[in-house]
Amino acid sequence: MNTLKLYLRSMGMLLKSHLQYPASFFMQTIAQLVMEGGEMMVVILIVDRFEQLNGWTGGNLFFFFGVMSVSFYITEFFGRGVTGDFPAMVRTGKLDTLLLRPRGILTQVLCSGVDPRRITCIAVGVAALVMGSTLSGVEWSFLKALALFEAICMSCMLILGLFLIEAVFTIHSVKSVELVNALTYGGRSACQYPVDIYPAPLRVLFTVVAPFALTQHVPAAYILGKPLYGWPGWTAFVTPLSGAAVFCIMTILFNRGMRFYRSTGS
Amino acid sequence: MRAYLSVFRMRLRMETQYRGAMIGGILCQMFFGLVLVALYRALYAGKPQALPIEHVTTYVWLQQAFFRMLLSSDPDLLDKIRSGNISYDMCRPVNMYWFYYARIAAQKMMGSLMRGIPMLILAFLLPKGWGLMLPASVPGLVMAVIALALGLLCICALENITMGFTMLTLDPRGMQGVLNLLMITFSGNLLPLTLFPDSWQRVITALPYAQLLDAPIRLYTGEYDVAYAPGIIGLQAGWTAVLVAFGMWMWSTNRKRMIVQGG
Repeated sequence: MNTLKLYLRSMGMLLKSHLQYPASFFMQTIAQLVMEGGEMMVVILIVDRFEQLNGWTGGNLFFFFGVMSVSFYITEFFGRGVTGDFPAMVRTGKLDTLLLRPRGILTQVLCSGVDPRRITCIAVGVAALVMGSTLSGVEWSFLKALALFEAICMSCMLILGLFLIEAVFTIHSVKSVELVNALTYGGRSACQYPVDIYPAPLRVLFTVVAPFALTQHVPAAYILGKPLYGWPGWTAFVTPLSGAAVFCIMTILFNRGMRFYRSTGS
Repeated sequence: MRAYLSVFRMRLRMETQYRGAMIGGILCQMFFGLVLVALYRALYAGKPQALPIEHVTTYVWLQQAFFRMLLSSDPDLLDKIRSGNISYDMCRPVNMYWFYYARIAAQKMMGSLMRGIPMLILAFLLPKGWGLMLPASVPGLVMAVIALALGLLCICALENITMGFTMLTLDPRGMQGVLNLLMITFSGNLLPLTLFPDSWQRVITALPYAQLLDAPIRLYTGEYDVAYAPGIIGLQAGWTAVLVAFGMWMWSTNRKRMIVQGG
């Protein structure tokens, strides 16, 4: 509980410091809005030209897009320490100071960064979710809302876990490894669309290695009433747990990696 | 003129230094390209379009290959603007605009060629319908290369305008973010311009952003007939001249009202 309190306090402090330069903050937030709005526009233009994608209607596609952008940007908002700052912390030796304090390293890394500019990206995602569910005529029930909530929470854990892969590589090699971006940012762009449109190798990658399909597409398809691969309804509540599994595995590997951490000395 | 050429050559050599990081970058970009190609193939399977799928995949690969040309800025200049060290540059006996124009041109050219050529070779080896197709004709290829060179000149002028805004606001992230997004959207990086609604085509292909990569790609795929090439190249040159003039005006006004961040 203490840890949670610590996290919330650091978030509060960091938010305050971000808001010290309101004009700059405002501009950056607008830039983020334009960025995510552009991504959304691409989906709209694709739907306008092609109408449907492997049986998914335009509304369905907006819904999938919304689930991805909400979960990806919530992670970037609250997990900035892992998703953005960590490689620099290793390179500059800032991580050393964390080793002196009586708290877990991962907790402190998470406490060290927040990115409130992402709020507009999340807003675009929410708009896509609303638009998608209205257009697809989703009849909301408690179970469906629960499935959406679980999908988003578990996707956030999955995304954090994937960024931790990069962190572990960084601990060992100091340099950040660009190739991991294929899983994180690549996963985001690829899995904005339901996984069943892709050829088998990509499907396997995003089901087994980086299970976006399990954390997002199975529950989203259940909510839309078009089960992915015809899987039964209860799977929508079980498969997202793979996100938590990835996060747990990566946390263990991260802590193990920290044992080999050598400061850059600067 | 000699001074700018030697700056250009120095930056070219500088760009060839980081080869390790490049391989990771190429593989990553290849992966993004494959995902996009798979997406467009799935879309085409549902509703084939007048434009053949080979043109779309070629478009995707050329865009991915020259991505570094679109999004890369001079890190030293950004630092100098923030720290105030830009005042040293004012002491140099050269025109600041062209000095940085030569630097960014070299950086964008070498950066994109070093990544682009290996990527295009790899993309060319992919099976039909997935990879890069051969150019429509030899004159088309020649015109596409000329248009690409002009596109480079145009993008450097745009980059200097973005830098001009950074000099005003000192914080690169806001305005630069918006301008870069406009660029990657309307240059066809997010979605090929050929797949934008047909009614938009006349407007978006006339914008400066379409001159960077879209025009060369369309000459390569044969969507623009070689007979129209002089007109297209004229449009590119026209935009470049306008953007350079605007950028030079911005930089000289900024110079007069510049407040150096002392340190």
